[in-house]
Amino acid sequence: MDTPPLSGSDSDSDDSLVTDKELQEAFSRGLLKPGLNVVLEGSKKAVNDVNGLKQCLAEFKRDLEWVERLDVTLGPVPEISGPQSTPQNKDQNKDQKGVDPEDDFQREMSFYRQAQAAVLAVLPRLHQLKVPTKRPTDYFAEMAKSDQQMQKIRQKLQAKQVAMEKSEKAKQLRALRKYGKKVQTEVLQKRQREKANMMSAIKKYQKGFSDKLDFLDGDQKPVARSTKEGAKGQQMRKGPNAKRRYKNQKFGFGGKKKGSKWNTRESHDDVSSFRAKIAHGKGLKRPGKKGSNKRPGKWTREKMKSRAR
Amino acid sequence: MKIAFTLGYPSKRSGRIYVAFELHPKGKWKNKERILIFSSRGINFRTRHLMQDLRMLMPHSKADTKMDRKDKLFVINEVCEMKNCNKCIYFEAKKKQDLYMWLSNSPHGPSAKFLVQNIHTLAELKMTGNCLKGSRPLLSFDPAFDELPHYALLKELLIQIFSTPRYHPKSQPFVDHVFTFSILDNRIWFRNFQIIEEDAALVEIGPRFVLNLIKIFQGSFGGPTLYENPHYQSPNMHRRIIRSITAAKYKEKQQVKDVQKLRKKEPKTILPHDPTADVFVTPAEEKPIEIQWVKPEPKVDLKARKKRIYKRQRKMKQKVNSGNAK
Repeated sequence: MDTPPLSGSDSDSDDSLVTDKELQEAFSRGLLKPGLNVVLEGSKKAVNDVNGLKQCLAEFKRDLEWVERLDVTLGPVPEISGPQSTPQNKDQNKDQKGVDPEDDFQREMSFYRQAQAAVLAVLPRLHQLKVPTKRPTDYFAEMAKSDQQMQKIRQKLQAKQVAMEKSEKAKQLRALRKYGKKVQTEVLQKRQREKANMMSAIKKYQKGFSDKLDFLDGDQKPVARSTKEGAKGQQMRKGPNAKRRYKNQKFGFGGKKKGSKWNTRESHDDVSSFRAKIAHGKGLKRPGKKGSNKRPGKWTREKMKSRAR
Repeated sequence: MKIAFTLGYPSKRSGRIYVAFELHPKGKWKNKERILIFSSRGINFRTRHLMQDLRMLMPHSKADTKMDRKDKLFVINEVCEMKNCNKCIYFEAKKKQDLYMWLSNSPHGPSAKFLVQNIHTLAELKMTGNCLKGSRPLLSFDPAFDELPHYALLKELLIQIFSTPRYHPKSQPFVDHVFTFSILDNRIWFRNFQIIEEDAALVEIGPRFVLNLIKIFQGSFGGPTLYENPHYQSPNMHRRIIRSITAAKYKEKQQVKDVQKLRKKEPKTILPHDPTADVFVTPAEEKPIEIQWVKPEPKVDLKARKKRIYKRQRKMKQKVNSGNAK
């Protein structure tokens, strides 16, 4: 980029504060560098007339007694923090510099502690000077806030407290209800299970699978029983009834699949309906009801007749 | 011997009860400080309440009517002289949004202008403390006030304004509340606490506000500037910056979009055809083209048939049922 000539005729020498000659001199001295020089506005320097301030303060200050002014300049009361190994000074510094103005609680606490420090320092002094700080009980005077205002404040505080207590109670009730519900469902389930077991045991006895009437004795040995019952119960509980299972297969789960094969590989491989005892002819021992009904054949009857004669 | 009247609880039936006794038996009121507290026109309710609260807390204060904003500020000095006041607190509201506060020592002394923020008045229900009306306050300052000369000057000004003179006729002799001035984030924070117990248990009374120093002048409401706060940003500038940030975000988005548009329109470089890319290309087998000449047979939709049958049965049933009902 070409630099414009310093002694250019197109520069408005009337308006510029610095004349061309001055610029030339500055350049020759080495203050200006080649290139386009732009006049920058310097950063505004804030007025800080320290001497003026001090003088003004000296003139303005009134030498009043401390009792008239009642002013204290103290840092905040140091925080009561947990056991720390760092020395006390560091703690104080940290307190003073670490107060984040955005952190509302910390900030308000620092103001509170500053006020506390002031009060603690001043009260003995005031008592010495016989300035009263406590109001006697029979001293009635107008307060900054009217009684009505104080009533409002008290009501609001009470309402807040009541609301908090209510919410606490509600929480507890909800927790209790959940627990109660759990307990209730457990008890109901237990009862149902016992009933089911009893019914299955009865049916077993009826069908002749077991001829012990132990289940009527009640829960004598619940631990031992439960394990035995557990094993048997598992077998019984594994599915619903045979009838139920058949019906489910026919009508349940979307109904019977029309035209579906029933001689598939899975059905061929499925040997769950194989009962070894029945297959080998050793199986069912029925109590003598039907057996006794069996009438001997004609030839055997003739034989018996003839023998009887 | 000055006898003061103090109001007991007023009862509407028998009129007001006056209890007369000597408030300040021993002392004479010597420290003649009088503060003029008033405002300009166009203040909002919060400022008005703040002003009333300050007037109530400071028994050595005087009130005045609102000042027109047309008048220049040095008129205030004349008003002060007429009211025989030597200090002044003047609230100035601009744009119905920003509140400025002037603290000044009336005839010759220094004055300071502040921007007031975060105002909470006495009447807020979270301020639960209470104090006697006109009782003398204890003033508590941050140690940072002693470090810099402008803060020292401000401290002196605040002390002279806010401390109630001893034995003032309207004051109560007890010291039961404390004003706190703290410096945080280059601002002055004001709080008012009630002293409940001797072991410094405190409750906030209110009001509260934050003062952001703008300038300190040598004269009252004028004169050469002694100090200018470099951290001060005028509320207009603040609002402008916020608006420009949001505008800049939008502008940036638009710019990005424009750049993308330009890039799309650019001629794309076409790469030359790479012969090695065709090495593994195998064309698919050609299938014979089948044309269906005959319409396919309609499928027997067993489901639809069943549905029709079922619907018919239901209708018949309904007829029978309705027949029975009749």
